[in-house]
Parts: sequence; structure tokens; C-alpha cells
Amino acid sequence: MTKDRSEVLQGTLDLMVLKTLDALGPLHGYGIARRIEQLSEEMLRLNEGTVYASLLRLTQKGWIRSEWGASENNRKARFYSITKAGRKQLAREAESWERISSVIGRVLRLESQH
Amino acid sequence: MLRAALSRILGTFRRRRLDEEFDDEVRSHLEMLEERFIARGMDPGEAFHAARREFGGVTQVKQDLRERRALPAISMLVEDVRHAFRQLGKAKGFTASVALTLALGIGASTAVFAVLNAVVLRPLPFAEPDRLMAFRSMDRRGTPRPTQLSYPDFFDFRKQNRVFEHLACYRDAGFTLTDSLPAIQVIGEIVSWDLFPTLGVQPELGRGFLPEEEKPGTHVVVLSHALWKSRFAGDKGILGRAIRINGILFTVVGVAPAGFQFPADAPAVELWVTLSEDVTASDQRGGRMLEAIGRLKPGVSAEQAQAQMDLVAGALAQQYPGNKNYAGTLVLPELERLTGSSVKPLLILLGAVAMLLLIACANVVNLLLARNTERGREFALRTALGASRPAIVRQVLIESLALGLLGTAGGVLLALGALNAVLPLAGESIPRVSQASIDGRVLAFSIVMAVLTSVLFSLAPAFQAAGADPAGALKESARSIARGHDRFRSALVVVQITLGLVLLVGAELLMASFLHLVQRDPGFRADHLLTFDIGLPEAQYNVARQTAFCDRLIEQLRAIPGVRAAATGRPLPLQGHQMRIAFDIEERPAAVPDRPRSDTAIVTPGYFGAMGIPLLKGRDFSEGDDAGAPPVLVVNQAFARKYFPAEDVIGKRIQPGAGQPPTPMREIVGVVGDAKQAELGADSDPIYYFPYKQLPWGIGTIVLRTAVPPLEVESAARAALASLDRQAAMHQIRTGEDLSARVIARMQFLIVLMGSFAAVALLLTGAGLYGVLSYAVARRRGEIGVRIALGAGRKEVLGLVFRQAMQLVAAGLILGLASAVAVGRLLETTMFGIRPGDPVILVGACCVLVITGMAAAYVPAARAASVDPMQALRSE
Repeated sequence: MTKDRSEVLQGTLDLMVLKTLDALGPLHGYGIARRIEQLSEEMLRLNEGTVYASLLRLTQKGWIRSEWGASENNRKARFYSITKAGRKQLAREAESWERISSVIGRVLRLESQH
Repeated sequence: MLRAALSRILGTFRRRRLDEEFDDEVRSHLEMLEERFIARGMDPGEAFHAARREFGGVTQVKQDLRERRALPAISMLVEDVRHAFRQLGKAKGFTASVALTLALGIGASTAVFAVLNAVVLRPLPFAEPDRLMAFRSMDRRGTPRPTQLSYPDFFDFRKQNRVFEHLACYRDAGFTLTDSLPAIQVIGEIVSWDLFPTLGVQPELGRGFLPEEEKPGTHVVVLSHALWKSRFAGDKGILGRAIRINGILFTVVGVAPAGFQFPADAPAVELWVTLSEDVTASDQRGGRMLEAIGRLKPGVSAEQAQAQMDLVAGALAQQYPGNKNYAGTLVLPELERLTGSSVKPLLILLGAVAMLLLIACANVVNLLLARNTERGREFALRTALGASRPAIVRQVLIESLALGLLGTAGGVLLALGALNAVLPLAGESIPRVSQASIDGRVLAFSIVMAVLTSVLFSLAPAFQAAGADPAGALKESARSIARGHDRFRSALVVVQITLGLVLLVGAELLMASFLHLVQRDPGFRADHLLTFDIGLPEAQYNVARQTAFCDRLIEQLRAIPGVRAAATGRPLPLQGHQMRIAFDIEERPAAVPDRPRSDTAIVTPGYFGAMGIPLLKGRDFSEGDDAGAPPVLVVNQAFARKYFPAEDVIGKRIQPGAGQPPTPMREIVGVVGDAKQAELGADSDPIYYFPYKQLPWGIGTIVLRTAVPPLEVESAARAALASLDRQAAMHQIRTGEDLSARVIARMQFLIVLMGSFAAVALLLTGAGLYGVLSYAVARRRGEIGVRIALGAGRKEVLGLVFRQAMQLVAAGLILGLASAVAVGRLLETTMFGIRPGDPVILVGACCVLVITGMAAAYVPAARAASVDPMQALRSE
């Protein structure tokens, strides 16, 4: 059951992570989790661990890369940043996301007219 | 996509480092979360838990990422295999028992399959071996049976055949090599010119024979590689040289390639000569002594070949109406001729090892079930933590496969050892058996067996594991889940006992027939008996000189201290029906085809005394029974009973031979005891003996009755022979005990194998029963405690366990007895003097199993009796 939910979320989460890195530059996992939490205004509750699955997926696709560095409190942390391919992907995804969400929005409005 | 795949492949191999890195990453994430919560006012303990809640299941995330990093299937497999070996390593005792059990089962099957492979499955070592066919004609007397060919038969078949590229004949013969001293006796083959082309064999040196070398008066020889190396030091100048064989000069034309052995069931052949050496036999249509082998023309089937050869036989039957050997022909793949009689015993052995393997599997299933019951909580826990059922079944299967592999490795080693130990027992009694080895095919067989058995024995545990209900298992004690499997495990033990009984009865039947065979009175005294053959350079000895030589030799041998009597005879007892000759009874003449036939032998005076065959009536041959005296015979008791049942046989006259050329009527002057001619069987065969001076035919086998251990006189006998002719060779030196060795060798081979299989089966069955009972006692500890607390004595408690054991044994025996009788029937052809349903054998086998059952039950029973009721009840 938990699995099903994450399947649905997977693409969305990936898009959010990409956008976050695009907007804020290199961040570690914790930072990304904080930023998503902040942007979603606590409407999206997610297990922060799932961020890492998303980061791994994006890394494997070559859309982000990572390097080790020190956090604000001088802790060893891995910093992720978006790559060129990642930016292109983000543009494509954002466009299709908007198109889909507008379609879904229209459909849902139609439903509610009944 | 490609990139992702690549990164996954890399991830598969850099697993450990990536894991550690991710651990670091998660750790700092958690620490940062904790700091944040502390900053919001939580105390550190609360913050610790809150951070982990916020992050989600740390272990699950780690596992999830680990799987995503690597190729999923491989990484899971690698992980599962690692896990399996780790688990097995933790349970060393369990792993060792299972691996050993499997090793016994798989080792036995591998060894037997290796023998079957070498004897039956491997093709003949010749070019296109499928086209090689053994050829016989059919004798129509009685049930038509295949018979050897005479030279005229062979020439007719060879000339008229349209289906064989080549049809070659061969027969073995002894040859004396006297080119240099000492003279040696070797086994050679007299063959038609095209034996080598038929087999598709190229000589290593020189050439094979030419068609014109079949002409009388040509003396050419092809040497074996071994003889060329040992006798002629591998000299390449040997070609064209003349060497002296049987006193005649032969020109060496070729050397056969190393390892060439034909026929494969003959003792090592050292030389080949053409049928020009058999010139005296070449026009005797009745002299059937030839084997024949043909190479089919391409595209001709064995059936087509047989059909055409049958036509030829039909024409010959019309041409020679008096000859009974043209009832048809037999065209049989040479491989089948070679291995035909060995297939059945080997299949019996294979059946036996299959049962053994099943017994071993049943034990392994029992061990696995017991172990997995104990691990029920582990499985339940894993299910609760999110492991899917397929994952758990996969783990059980992989553990089983790992066990199977361990068992196979052990089994192959065991098979290697077993082959080394057992093959010498077979000797030459099974053709090609000495070539048995663990080759690719055998190895593949073992691995397939391992996988099959692993799947077989892991089915039940896998179902058990998959069925584990996490909530129930965690709530209840592990014991209660197992109750449903008890019946299954008991059934397994019953099956083991059933199979064990069948194996045991099989082994007992073979052993009983062996004892029967060994203890059977051969009709002569085998102790203190030395026999040997001599090879004379034949060309220098005509019949008269041979007889004179034989007399002088016997005289010299009798003079050796320790020799009580010396004589010659041919053939000796137990060597098979070698010389069967038809005869006509004077009082009841019959047409030639309807005349009776029986074994014959040619002996010197004193032969019966030397062999220890008692003279029952009349007289032995004397020196006076020579060519000039009235023709006489001695017969054995079986002969007298069969042909003269109501009369006194002494003084009766019979005429040996088929009447052409006519032989004289011979008077029966004596009756001797029944010495068995045939190797096997309980009945004595009728035989009549000729005095050697009235039928001189080479020099028979020398027999010496000694007062000392027989081999002690060997060197003196050799010296006596050399003093008469330095070119005479002594060979086939055997004691009386050796005479019966051939058949015993084959039986011994079967018995040692069947016996060991039965012993291992008993051991495994005992172990299986022990396991089930121990487990039952452990499970019923509480109940037993209550019984003891309520006053049950030691006896009652012991009885409880023994009763359970005997119930299982009894069930197994009832099932087993029926199958054992059926299986016994299959063995019937390999048995002597005993019936498959012999009650002594069956009861004996049941007793052995009951005793095994008692022994297996003893320890668990004793354990049950010593249960401390207080402790047992407290732990409930």
C-alpha cells in the first residue's frame, strides 16, 4: 500500500526535487526536504527518506550530480546540483506538467457541472 | 536508459562502499533533524525518535536504495545467496548433516551413472560407430538362436551381401612369439583382410591387410601398439621385418594405433593375422567359430540389412538342406551386442540408487522442516517487517540450492573414491567398465540431479514458510504451527522404510544367490589345484610329436615335489559350453538334425583323479586307450541319467559327430561325477569325455593336483616346460579358485554396490526415524511431564516412544513387502537358487528394519523417560 502511494508520487517528487535544485543551487538531502516542506506549506507530508530514492533516480538518469562537502554546522554532507541535462528535462517536465494539470483541471470542472 | 543501466551495473559491484556512503548521508540528515527538533524545544530523547519518525523507516529506505542502486535480479540473488550461506554457516551441524546425506545420495547415483555412461552410453571409439553391426546367422534347432559363422558361411554372406560396405570376420586365438627368448604367449585375432577398413581404423605405422593376403600361404601380421613398444622397443624399422610366430615367419605390415581395442570385450589383443592361417577350416561348413561385424552402407538401416541378409540365408538353406544354420540372420548394432547383457544389472543398480536418493531426500526434507519450524518466528518476523511471501519462498529455495550444491560437490568426490574402490571388483566381467570416469556428461548428470533434488526437497519447506501466519506465529509458540506437518513428516519416514526394505531385500537376494553360487559344489575339488595353458610353436609339432610332448611333460610335472597328480583336459569345468558336439545313440538312431548335443571334453588318463572328479562306475581312461585301441568314452552322471535313465550306461555305444565324415561308434566305459561346465545355473549339464590319444587336438590345459599351496609349484612347472622346449610358453596360470572367478567377479560387483546402498539406506532411514521421534519427544515434553507427574513409570514412557516408532516401521514394512516382491522379480535373472518371494529373506529384511527402528528410537525414548516433570511443566 505504501508502495502504491510512492509510485504515484514518484514522478511529482522527482519534479519537485529538480525544481528545488534548479532554483536554489546545490543542496543536501536535508535541505531539499526542508525546502519542499516549506513550499508545500505543510500540505504535503512525506517521509524525508523518500527524497533519497528520488535523488538516486535523478542521479542515475544523469539529471543531477553530487559531491561531498560540509554542511552549515560543519557536518559531512552530500550536495546535489542540477546538470545541463537536468535543466532540459525540467523544462520538458514542467511544460508537460502544466499541460496535464490544466487538462485535468478542465476535466474536473466538467465533472462538477453535472 | 543506458546510463541508468550502467550506473546500476557499477552499483552492483561497488555495493559496500555505496552503502557506507549512504549511511553517512542518512546519519547527518537525522542529526540535522534532531537539532531542529531540539531547537524547537524537545528534549534529546524525544528529538531522536521524532527525527526517525520524520525520516521514515531508516532500514527500509536503505534497503530500497540498495535495490535501486544495483541490477535488481542479480543483486537480490547475490544478496539471497550471501544470506543463505550466512544462515547455513550459522547452523553448522544442520548444514553438515544435510550436505552429507545429499552427498551419499548424489555420490552413489553419480558413481552408478558413471559406470552406465562408460559401458552403455559412450559410443564405440570408431568412425561413425552407428553404422557398425554385429552379424550372426540363426540356428533353427529348438528356439532359433544366433550362432557363429563358419568360413564357407562367411564367404557366402560376404560375397552376396548388398548392404554392407564391408563385412569382416574375426576370431581370437593364442599365438606364441618365438622371435627372441623368452617365448611369450599372446592373444591375437584371425581376421578377414578388411577388419581395419570396416572399423575405420588407420594403422599407426604401415598399413592394414590387402585382399590378396587372405590367400593360403601368405603370412602377414599387424602388431598392437603395446606389443610393438614392449617387444620391439617401438622400432620403426619393424615394417617389412619377419618375426617368428607359432614357429612360422610372418612379415610385419603394420602397427595398430595406441589404444585400439577390438572387440572391446576381449582381453587385450596383441596381434592380427589374416584368415589365411585358418586354411584347414576354410572349407568346413560345420566349423562355426567366427564372429562377424559389418559396416552398413550409408543410408541403409539395420532392418533393411537384415532383410537382405535373410534372403541370402534363405538361398543358402535351399542350397544346403542338411545345414540348420540358415533360419535367418541377425543384424544387431555392435554396441548392443557388446553391452546387451550388462544393461540390465546396471539399470537395476540405477534403480537402487534412485531409491537411495529418494531416501536421502526424505531425510533432508525432514531436517529442513524441523529447522524451518524453529525458524517459523524468523519468517514471521520478516513477513511482519515487509518481506513478501515470494521473497521468503525464494530464500528457502536458494538455501536449498546452496545445500544441493554443497551435497553435489561432496557427492562427486565420493563418487570418485567409490569408483576407484569398486571398479577393480568388476574386473573384465563387464565390458568397458574400467573406463568409467567422471566426465562432462556425468558431471552434468550430477548437477541436474542436485537441482532436481533441491527443488524436490525444498517444496514442502517452501510451502510451510509461505504459509506462516505472522500474527499467529508471533503470538503462539513456534511449536503449535508445526503440528500439521507432523503427519507429513511421519509419512516421509514410512516412505523411507518402504524404500529401505526394497533395497535391503534386493541386496539380500543377490547375496543369497552369491552364497549359493560360491557354496555350490562345482563337482571338482578347487583347492590345491593349479592349471595353466601352454603355447607350442605349432609348425614344429605334428600330431604325433604333440602327443609325445604331452606325455613327456606330464611325466616331468608328476616328478615335481609337491605335485600329486598331473593331467590335461580341455575344456576345464566352469568355462562355459565351449565344445558341444551332437551324437547318435546306437540303440536309437536319429536323423542328423534331430540328434542330441551335449558338452564334451578331451582328457588324459588321470584327469578325473587330478581334478577331484569322482569315478562312480566302470573305469578311467588308461594309457592303452590310444588310436589303435577300441574307441571309448567316459560320461558323467547327468549324461547317464538323461540319455539312459533306466539302463546301465556302461557298455552302451554312441557315435559323436554329425556323421560327416563318419566317426566310429564309441563304447561308454565309465561314469564320473558331475563337474559343472557352465559358469552359472544350478543344474549339471551332461558331458562326455574323449581320451586324448583317440582325439588328439592340441595340448589341453594342464591341471596339477598339489600337496602344497598350488602357486608354489609354478616355477618348477615352468622349468620343466622349458627343459622340454625353450620356445614353449606358459600362460593363463590359474588356481582352482580362479576358475570360478569370472562369474563371481560380476556378482561381487553387483553385491558390493547393492550391499552398500542398502547399508546407507538403513543408516539414512534410521536417521530419519530418529529425527522424527526426537522432534515428537521435544514437542510432547509437556505432555510427557504431565504423565510422569501423574505416575507414569519409565517403562510406560519408553513404550510411548517405541510404540510410535514401531507404528511407523510397521506401516513402512507392509507397503515395502508388496513392492519388495515385485522388485525381486526384476532381479530374477541375476539370481540363482533362490526365489524372489523367499520368506526367509523377507522376514530377515523386516527384522533388520525393526532392529534399525528400535535403535533409532532408543535415544529419543531415553530422553523422554528422563524428562523432569517439574521443569517440563514450568516451561510450558
